[in-house]
Order: sequence, then C-alpha cells, then structure tokens
Amino acid sequence: MTLLKREEWQHFVRDVDWTFRYVDDEAVFPEWHSGTGKVPREAWLSWEENYKVTYPEYVATQREKEASAYAVKAALQRSTAFDNLDEGWKSSTKMHFGGVALVEYAAVLGELKMARFGLNGAWRNMATFGQLDELRHAQITTFFGHEFVGKDPQYDWTQKTFHTNDWVPIALRNLFDNMMISPNVVDLAIELPFTFETGFTNLQFVALSADALESGDVNFANMISSIQTDEARHSQQGGPTMEILVEHDPVRAQWVIDRSFWGSARAFAALTGPAMDYYTPLEHRKQSYREFMEEWIIDQFIHTIEDYGLKKPWFWDEFMRGLDTWHHGLHMGLWYWRPTLWWRPKAGVSKDEREWLQEKYPNWEKVYGGKWDTMIDNINANNVEATLPETLPWLCSMCHLPACNATQSRDGTWRVRDWSLSYGGKTYHFCTNACRQIWWKDRDNVNHETLIDRFLAGQIQPMDVGGILNYMGMTPDVMGDDPDYAAWTKDYTGRPATGLALSTAKGDQS
Amino acid sequence: MTGQPRKARPRRTFSAFGDVRRMPSEYEIVTHGQNWTMRANRPSAFEHNPSSPPNLWFLTYRENSPLKAEDWEQFRDPDSMTYKTYVNLQAEAETKTAGVLEEFAEANADSALTPGQVALLGSMFTPSRYLLHGCQQVEAYIGYMAPTSYVTNAASFATADYLRRVTLTAYRTRELQLAHPDSGIGTAERGIWENDEAWQPARQAIEKALIAYDWGEAFTALNLVLAPTIDDVLVRQFTEVSRDNGDQLSWLLLSFLQADNDRRNRWSAALAGFCLQQKPENADVLRRWIARWTPVADAAAHGLGRLLETRPEHGRAADEVAAGAKAAREAFHARLFEGLEAAGEGKRAG
Repeated sequence: MTLLKREEWQHFVRDVDWTFRYVDDEAVFPEWHSGTGKVPREAWLSWEENYKVTYPEYVATQREKEASAYAVKAALQRSTAFDNLDEGWKSSTKMHFGGVALVEYAAVLGELKMARFGLNGAWRNMATFGQLDELRHAQITTFFGHEFVGKDPQYDWTQKTFHTNDWVPIALRNLFDNMMISPNVVDLAIELPFTFETGFTNLQFVALSADALESGDVNFANMISSIQTDEARHSQQGGPTMEILVEHDPVRAQWVIDRSFWGSARAFAALTGPAMDYYTPLEHRKQSYREFMEEWIIDQFIHTIEDYGLKKPWFWDEFMRGLDTWHHGLHMGLWYWRPTLWWRPKAGVSKDEREWLQEKYPNWEKVYGGKWDTMIDNINANNVEATLPETLPWLCSMCHLPACNATQSRDGTWRVRDWSLSYGGKTYHFCTNACRQIWWKDRDNVNHETLIDRFLAGQIQPMDVGGILNYMGMTPDVMGDDPDYAAWTKDYTGRPATGLALSTAKGDQS
Repeated sequence: MTGQPRKARPRRTFSAFGDVRRMPSEYEIVTHGQNWTMRANRPSAFEHNPSSPPNLWFLTYRENSPLKAEDWEQFRDPDSMTYKTYVNLQAEAETKTAGVLEEFAEANADSALTPGQVALLGSMFTPSRYLLHGCQQVEAYIGYMAPTSYVTNAASFATADYLRRVTLTAYRTRELQLAHPDSGIGTAERGIWENDEAWQPARQAIEKALIAYDWGEAFTALNLVLAPTIDDVLVRQFTEVSRDNGDQLSWLLLSFLQADNDRRNRWSAALAGFCLQQKPENADVLRRWIARWTPVADAAAHGLGRLLETRPEHGRAADEVAAGAKAAREAFHARLFEGLEAAGEGKRAG
C-alpha cells in the first residue's frame, strides 16, 4: 500500500475559493491590489498552473537542495580559491551580491502579495511556494556574500546596498518597487515570474554561472545554479495569468509586458552588460552581451509573446539599436563614477580587449574609442585625477540611470540625445524615447525625484562630491577604484597624447 | 578622491549590525534588514511619487499603524527559523505524517470509523480547508506588510504551515471520500462552509480578518485572537473528541500539526511582548484590538462546538468547547501581558 497519487486529491488543495457573505468581494480583493480590470471576476476560475507541486514534495526536494548547496560551500570554505580569483570576476560577484540579495527579498514581498491578493486559490498556493523560494534565494545569497566581508569590505554591500541612496540602488528600487512589490497582482504575475524570471534572470544566472566556472569560482556557480533550479516552479504563475489577461484585455497585457521588458533591459544593460563585456577576463568570455541577449532573451521573448498572440513592443527598434550602445555608455559611466560603486570596475580596454569589442560591436571604436583614449592618455601622463568625477551625470527621470546613450544622427555623427518632456511646469529629461513614453503613461507613480533633482533641491549637503558620496552611504574603505590601471594602459605608453588638453579642460562634462 | 587608505582591521559581519561584540548568528545574518522599504531616512516606502497609491497604502497601514516600535529590527523569532531549518524541520515532519497515513491506510482504518465520527469529519474537519486558506491569506498579508524582515519571515513560514494543513486536509478528504462515498465528503464541503449555521461565525471571523488592513490589527486578529481560539477547537478539542470516538488517525495527524501552531504562538507572543517592551502605549493598542476580536472568536468557537456536540456518538457540549477555547486563549494572553504587568508592578513598587 502506498500513498494516494497527487492527481487524486490535489484538486481539494486548489479548490479553496468561496463567495463572501459578510464582506464585499471588492473589499477583500481591492482593485489596485488585485487588478482584475476589464477581466470578469469569474474568468479567474479557470486559472491553472502547469507545474503542480504539493507541500510534502516541496519540503522534501528543497531539503535536499539546501543540503547540497551548503555542503559544497562547506567543502570549499577552507580552500584558497577566493584569493586567486581575478579582480574583474570578484567585481562581478560583488555587483551580484549587492545588486541581487535584497531584490530576491523584494520578490518575497511580491509573492506574499500574490499569496494574499491573487484571484484564484491555486494561484495563491503557488505564490505561497513562490515566497518560500524567494526567501531561500535571499538567504542563500546573503549568507554566501557574508562569508567574504572579512576578506573585503565591499562585500558588506551584499546587505547594505539597498539601504543606501547610492544611484545604482535608487535606479533598481525604482524598477523593482514598480514591478515586484507594489503593482496589482495581475501585473505582478506577468512582470515578475513572466518577463523577469523566465526571461532576464536567465541572463544573470545562466551566463554568470558559466562565467563563474570559467573563472574558477565553483562556490558561486554552485549557489546560482542551485537558485536557478527553483525558478521553473514559481515562474509558472505568469503563464496562466497571461492567458486570461490576453483573452480579456490584450492591450493591457501588451503594455505590461512591454513596460517590464524595457525596465529590465535598462537595468541589465547597466549591470550584466559591463560584467560580461568588460569585467570577465578576455580568455573566459564565451559570448558578448549582445550575442547573449540575442540568444537567451530576444529569441525566447519573441517566441513567447507570439505564442500569446502579442506583438513586438513598440520600442523594438530603439531597443535593438541600444544593444550596441547602452551598456558601453553605462560601463564608461560606472567606471568614471567609480568612487560611487561597491566594486572595482575594470576598464577592460587594453588593445586585445578593444579588438574583441570592435569585432563584436563594429561601431565601438568610432563611438567609444576616442573617449577611452583620453582616459588612457591621462593615466599614462600620471594624471588620474583628471579621470575622476567632479560633478554628477544627468539621470533619466524614468530609469534613473545616467543619460548616456549615443545615437547616430542623419549626418553620421554619434551624440547623446536628450528626450525631454514638460509636465506640471517642470521639464523632465529622459535617456531614451521609450523611457519618456513609459514615464508619461505611468506618471502618477513614477513622477519622482532623481538623485539629481534631490541634489539641485539642496537635499544633499554639502553640495560637492564628498557630500554626494556621504549621501550615497559610501565609505572610503568601500568606494570603488580601478583594480589595475596598468593592465589596460600599458599597451599605449609613449604614444602622442592627443586627448590631454581636452580632458583637463572638460573632463567633467561627459 | 583617490588614494584613500583602506582600513586594515577586517570586518567580522555586516555593518548593519553596528559595532557588535557578539558575532550574529546565521539566523540573524540571513534575516536582518532584508526589507528595503523599511530603510532609514526614506521619504516613502517605495521609490515612487510619495502620494502614489502603494505609498499611501503603506503609509496608512504600516507607518501609521497605532502599533509602534523604536526599532523593529531588534525583534527576534524565538525559534530562529531560517529557510534551511524550516524545510529540514517540515520535511522530517511530513515523513512522519506520510508514515502514519500509510500505516493506517494499510489497516483500512477509515472503513472502521463510526457513523458519528464520519459525520464529524465531514462536517467539521474536511470543510475547514476554506477557513484555513483564509488564514493562509491573512498570514501572507501580515508578512507582506510587516515592518521588519524578522516578522515577515516568521509570517512567511506560518503562511506555508497553513498550506501544509490545507494539504493534509485535502489528502484526508480524498481518503475519506473513497472509504465513505455516500457521506458527502469531497463534494459537500463548500456548501457546508457557506451555509451550515455552525460554520457561519467562523466564516464571518475570517472574512472580516481579511479586510483588517492595518498590519498590526491583522496580526492581532489572526495570530493573537482567532488562531489561538479556533485552533483550540479545530485541533486540541477535535483530536480529543476524535480519540474518544475511536479515530486514532485524526488524533495523531492533527496532534502533529500542533507543533506548527505552537511555533506560531511562540513568535506571536514574543512579538507582542516585544511591542510592549518597545512602547508601553502598545498595551492599550493591543488590548483594544483584542477586545474587538474576542467576541468574534468566541462566537466562532461556539458555532464549531455545536458540531463537536451533535455529530459524533461521544460528543462534547458546545458550551464546554467554547469555554475551553476561551480558557486556552486567555492563558496565551496572560503570557503576553505578564511581563508588562510585572514591569508595571515593579515601577509602582519602586
């Protein structure tokens, strides 16, 4: 005699909705939390997850995963592997720990929101597993990052990042508050499990796992591949929600997908892009960021949205053009404003590296080469000061990232364009046309001060770089610097330095 | 801006713990300061327009909750539960449950149940999954809104515990349906939940708790009042009556679940105690909410008591059931306020 099969009884676990008598349905599932919108309430009765799991199965599987993930960690604890890791790779892990640990926790809150306000009992149950999964990811990431705080204080930002007003976490909170913690659950189920988890986390997790192994960081690879095995389960909430929304309100479905795709693409260009194309040692690079995006995100995304009868987002051409520019501009911005980072950004523009970049991005030299030459010449002239910031970059009012995207004009020149908009007596500036469009549609929520607005309003005192770094929570033991200037400048020593005069006069106007 | 000397003294832990002499535990490392919507010096919870609907919701029901503390990050779950310890604990517990289920199925125990006990199971135990799911939702809401990850995580596990309980109830529903196909078990539950008079006070309680949106009131309503009262009926008294009626299996299975309830009671009592310690004014806030939810809970216990009284061969009087549940809750509350009164006495004496 064995236990009953799951199929024989699980319908009772899923069938837990009832009709309210003592309170209004609208009070239990308020519109802005539950977001049924144009979808008739009863349409949610057909919500069904593709991936069925029960509580006893869940805890049994997860116990095993936890045991093996922590066993690998314990086995590696005494090795000297960490000390031998490349600085560029370490920077990628610092960025990951600081940029991801608390985002996993934001996802705990998002899943809890769906566990409360989801419009079908089975959905709420899936979200109950989902919140546990995300808690696992938050805890394992935090714990693994904590291990290194004694070796390098930058790992303190594993926990600290999102408690600060550093510009990177401001941009990321802005994104994830909007797509994970605060939206109505219908939008949330599409933005978090669907666009983000079935799409973009692949970028961070699959690519980074491969890079970790290449770089000899088995511990890190072990952690993120173990995390990735959970996604298949809870990301299933997106599909059934999408099916119902598309049937009743395809315009909204399209908008929710488009908006979250765009926001995710901007954030990944800022973080994953530089990690893949600049920080990873040349000999360990498998694919460029663009190639990875094409293979893992774009093909899959297009395939998925077409399955649901949706169209490519309206911004598609702008997005595709941005694959050649966004992350290069952002990398230069990150490097230039390196004292604001909790990692050590490698410039990654030695001759060999530039050849690789030029091969992968045929306009790279034309758009970025000269600017890096200016940096190189200053460093070779022992003038590192000239390559450090004295002011702030202009930040986009939508994505809160530096407005630094070069686009090509009709005459062939490359310029950083300002997309602006006047609203309520104020002019807002955006990095891209799509950021401007999304802001306009979402302005009730996202009409919010950027770091620059705060600075100009006098909220940051004193109004200088020291004051700004202090406002950002940056301490001298953490603030980022290039780990090895010589590594990428020595190829160019002794050449005529054409960029010097320009850089000392206008070094802060990038 | 360059050439800043790097400090030589290595850190031992996250700076968020301040200058601590004691190394934080693994539980503290993975739980502390995880919720960025509670970060210091924030203009609003979310990186949005401060008057956006989500910001106003959190302002109203979390920041402006009458339940206040100087520093929520000081709260600790007495069980120090982490994800890893939770899945270990519950995987172990579920193995035990599965063993019992298998053994009793082998012995064909369900076919030997008395008609009265089958009636009790079908009127009280199997329909309870609706109530428990409602509790699961409220617990998730507490986790969503709580002002520290220390509380959110405890509520996260408690939410999952309710799912565990619904899952076991569902499994048993199917077994009982197979053993007693004409009993209505497996088909009648929703009708009973929505129409049986005995269930209506409990249904009213959970429907109202679902719209108690102040996070502190939601916590008080469910974890301090409704759950300790109703669990005394649905778990302790139900198992006792089941055993009196020869149903060893129900007695065993639900006794196992008591461990989850006890754990929830431990952190809930600790949280109430923490609130009282942080701000003595919280005593009035908690008492006011407890007073609001107590009659609701008592009515629910009495309604369910009628099932214990009337269904099985050897029943228990509804008044006795209600009194027992009330006593259990009061004993629990005495624990909460004990420290405060002792402190108050101490102050007066001093």
